[in-house]
This record gives sequence, structure tokens and C-alpha cells, in this order.
Amino acid sequence: MITTYLARRTWLHGVPAGVKLFALAALSFMLLPVQDWRILATAAMLAALVFAALGREARQRLALIRPLLPVLAIIAAFQVMTGDWRDAVGAVARLTLMVMLAELVTMTTTMAAMMEALAPVLRPLRHLGLDPRALTLAVALVIRFVPVLLEAWQRRAEAWRARSGRRPALRLVAPFVAEALRLADHVAEALTARGFAASARPQEHPMRKIP
Amino acid sequence: MSNARRAMVQSSFQPSSGHPPDDTIRFDAVSLARGGRSLFAGLNLTLDEHRIGLIGANGSGKSSLLRLINGLLLPDAGKVRIGGRDTVRDRDELPGRIGFVFQNPDHQIIFPTVGEEVAFGLTLRGLTKGEAAEQARALLAAHGCAGWEDRAVQELSEGQKQLVCILAVIAPQPGALLLDECFASLDLRARADLMARLMALPQRLIMASHDLDLLASFDRVIWLDGGRVCGDGAPAEIIAAYRAAMTNGGGAP
Amino acid sequence: MTVRDLVRIALFAAIIAALGLLPRIDIPIAAGVPITAQTLGVMLAGVMLGARLGALAVLLFLFVVALGAPLLAGGRGGLGVLFGPTAGYLIGWIAGAYVCGLLMRALRGLPLFAATLIAAIGGGILVVYAFGVPWLAWKANLSLTQAILGGLVFVPGDLIKAVATAFITVATHRSAPSLISGRA
Repeated sequence: MITTYLARRTWLHGVPAGVKLFALAALSFMLLPVQDWRILATAAMLAALVFAALGREARQRLALIRPLLPVLAIIAAFQVMTGDWRDAVGAVARLTLMVMLAELVTMTTTMAAMMEALAPVLRPLRHLGLDPRALTLAVALVIRFVPVLLEAWQRRAEAWRARSGRRPALRLVAPFVAEALRLADHVAEALTARGFAASARPQEHPMRKIP
Repeated sequence: MSNARRAMVQSSFQPSSGHPPDDTIRFDAVSLARGGRSLFAGLNLTLDEHRIGLIGANGSGKSSLLRLINGLLLPDAGKVRIGGRDTVRDRDELPGRIGFVFQNPDHQIIFPTVGEEVAFGLTLRGLTKGEAAEQARALLAAHGCAGWEDRAVQELSEGQKQLVCILAVIAPQPGALLLDECFASLDLRARADLMARLMALPQRLIMASHDLDLLASFDRVIWLDGGRVCGDGAPAEIIAAYRAAMTNGGGAP
Repeated sequence: MTVRDLVRIALFAAIIAALGLLPRIDIPIAAGVPITAQTLGVMLAGVMLGARLGALAVLLFLFVVALGAPLLAGGRGGLGVLFGPTAGYLIGWIAGAYVCGLLMRALRGLPLFAATLIAAIGGGILVVYAFGVPWLAWKANLSLTQAILGGLVFVPGDLIKAVATAFITVATHRSAPSLISGRA
């Protein structure tokens, strides 16, 4: 299944999701006032060491930071142009540090555990009209239907290529979206048939109240 | 879910082995129009056999008939009753009593893993997550799918997906299963396997199908044409008449 | 909210994900310049589902990404994306989809193509940048001018996507008018 979760267990997997999330939030808060580039750079090195200590698979996940590199390079360039290299190092170190820390949490926590840990945080949303049960269902639907939609796209792209000999074009997006929305209607019907509406009737459904 | 609400859900959910004597399905002068076109006009029908097949051309009303039984469609006039219950008044109770299996498993399967999918109907009936997961595991094992809980739905074959759909729907132990062309995209082997599994279920089956051979051992077959019952009785007789009418270029009698 | 609304939100979130993961799509007017179609999905969400459901679809998409699903273009996912320098753009997507929907409603009098183009530029570009640029300035310790300069790189691609949104919406409306909220 699609996930950035690290299958091979490490010690960090054993730490409860709530603790990891809290630590992440606390660290990001504590780092806000820190300006000294030496502290930030040291912390970033430490985070990288934790990554390295989690094994080869974890080190490979560091590659996830690669798409950030161009942005970081531009930021560093601006910093050097207007300030000095210390500001550049500080800014880049702070960003990579936070991304790495967050990545550590994601890598070692299943999505289900993450949802569970977030439940107490999400519960007050009930007062704003967001039903946690509907949210769980919606998350599952997204994960379930991304591969279904990708397959549907592949079929369309193949049919297009077979007839036009060209690479798939934007022309295909409109029927693709229309097909997905029709799929949504089928899924809604099946969901109703299984009684989802019956135990969360529209008129008393908490999500109704979202402004 | 509050305790009161949970108790209510559970009380309306009666596990059934075989089907209770009061769950006869009655269509009483049912009329239904869809998209401005009249589909059923004053349809009367009593369904209480254990295995009922629905045949007829596309657009003859098979799907709509099934959807009227579980309240996905409501009659414009007349009444559909299951036992003493009315599909309009008691609509919310129907999903617990009547399961629906759709043609395309991808329209039906909501969750990415088999375990979550099978447990879903149980949590809707008020079971806790843990109880539902445990029952789902037991049900899968009982149907020869031990250890499927964590399998990704996406990796299953079409036949396996449809099996998961059926298991997910029977998990809350409904009294009847409605099957809408649910074998249309399956190969012969998967068809035979699933059919054997279905025939072994205690639930009443009402099955719409273009594959006439599947219905040969049913108790009753109903032939619909343009929303009218055009043949109704023993499978051998009705299927033969239907086949003759369709292949001789003639229409319905 | 009905079950149908809930499923539409989820399916649109999945569309946004799928558009980001597709092998690059050729856009003829850009002379073969490949772009990711993910922001296209954000614009379409607001235009097709309307303000409220469109914004919820984007919010749900980002929530699933934050939970760890690698669904951002290029296969990124996890809490890290919320801490990156460009997270402001992602937050801006939510507001952007909402404003797209609002503009579509407000511009009902205009021809569909023009209305969609304005909505996509207003919501999908202006609003998104209004979140993304200051966020980048804050996170990277840049001046606002520098952050704007950095953001300019993406404007041509986003303009192409706004035009694409208008084309797609018109095509969809022709085949299935009921799919576009407020334009049935």
C-alpha cells in the first residue's frame, strides 16, 4: 500500500505516536526563537545521525528531501546576497532539521496509529461540526481510490495512445474527472446500501454544520 | 457513538440463521418512474423463496427492483414491505437486514485493506473497533481466507475482490442478499467458485443475472420486461421461454 | 452534508493525488513543457465542487498527505511537507479552492470559459501565492520582495494550468453539465 512508512521495525517504531507528535510540536516551538546558526546546524547534524542510526532503509528515505534542494539553494543564495553566509546556513539548517524530524515521525508511525493519536486533537472539531467517524471514512476512501483512479487513467491513456500514437494529453483530464465523479456516485450508493446513511442520517449528521 | 444510540442500533440488528418467517418481501401496487420514464406501474409481487433469480434485458427493471427492496429507491406509489417493515418508514433498518452486492467491486469496497472492509459493516451496527476486527478475522477464516486482514484490496484479483464484497456484506448477518449482476466481470472459474459459496449461505438470495446457467438450481426465476413480470416460476421453464424469445428475434410474449 | 457530498470530497482528494502522480502530461500550448498537474486538481476542486466542498477536498488531501501517504507531486508525503519552506502554498490551496468556488458562483453571468479562467487565476494563483509567499519569507528568513521573486518562477506554469482548468471545465460541462456545481 502507498505509504512512506518504514516496514522494518526500529526503536523509534516502539515510541507511542502521541509522544512522537508531541515531541515534534514541542521541538518546532522551541526552535522558533533560536537564531544561532551553530545550534541549528548541530541540531540538523544530530537529526541526520538519528536517520543514519535507523538503518540503510531509513538513510535511503533521506532522498525524500531531494525535491527541497532547489528551493533551499535559492533561499541560501538570497541569504548570502543580502546578509552573510551565517544566515544562509542557519535558515537552511532550520528547514532541513524540521523536515527531517517530521519525516522521522512519519517513517516510524502507521497511518492508523497517527489517526488514533490525533483523535483527542480532532475531538473538539465535533463542536465545529466535523464528525471524526466521517473523517476516518474519508481518509480510507482517498487511500483506496488513488490506485483505482490511476488505473482508470492508465486505461484511458492506453486507448488514446492506441488511436493517436501520441503521449496522453490534457484532453484526457476532462473525461477522467467526469468518470471519477460518476464513480463517486456509485460509491455513495454502495455506502448507503450498507447503512452508512442509516447510522448518520443527513438531517442529524454533524458534518452538516460546516460553514 | 453514545450508548443509547449503540443499544438502539444493536436491537435493530438481529443475527439470523436461515431467515425468520416474517421476512417475506411484498410489492404492493408499486409504481416507479426514473428520469421521467415510467418503469413500474402497479407492480405486485410476493417473494419468499430461498433462491430467486431475476432475468431480463438491460433496462427491463432488474436493478431497480433490487434497489426498491433495500430502499435505495423508494416507490412513487404503492408499498414495498419486508416482513411488516415498510421501506419508506423503516428505511434506516434495511441495511442491517438486507445486504446488497454490486456489479463492480471497485464501486463497493471502501477501505484499502480487507480487514477494515469486512469490519466496516459491523462497526456501523454498533460494534467497537476491536470486536468488529475480531469478528471480521473469524469470518474470513471461516470462508477460507485466513490471514487476509492486512492484504491490500488493490492487489486482489477481480474474483477475490468480489468475494471480499460478499463477505463484507454478510458480516452483519443480514437475512437476505441482493446481487446485481455481481459476476459480470468474472472469469468462469471465479464465477463457479463464488456461486458455490453463495449457494451455501443461509441468507435468502435474490440475484439479477445475464448468466442464465447460474440460476438453474434456484427455487424461482422472474423474467422482467419493461417493468412487467413476463414470466415467473420454475427456472427450467422460465429460462427456456426467455432464451427462446431472445434468440428467435421475437420480443417478450 | 450528505453521503454523496462526503464521497465526492474524498474522490476529488483522490483526483488531486492522482493528477500529481501521473506520468507527465503534455500540454500542447506550452510546447511540450512538462508540468505537474496537481495544482490543476486544486483549481478544478473549487470550480467543480463549489467553495465549501472544494476546500474540504483539498483539506482532506493534505490531511492524508500529512498522515504519511506520499501523494504530493514527486511522491512526497508525511509531516515533513508541513514543515518545509513551501508549506504555505499547500495551506493556500485550501483557501484557493474556496475562493475558486466563490468566484464561480459570483461570475455565473459570464460565459463559462471566462468565469472559470478568472476563478482559477483569482483563487488558484493569487490566493495561493498570498499564503505561499509570506510563509516562504517567514520560514526562510527572506524579505517579502525576495520571496516574491522566488515565487515568480512558478507563475507561467500556473497560468497554463488556469487556462487548462477553463478548457477542462468547458469540456466537462458539455458532456455532463450537472458535474459542475452552480452551472447545471
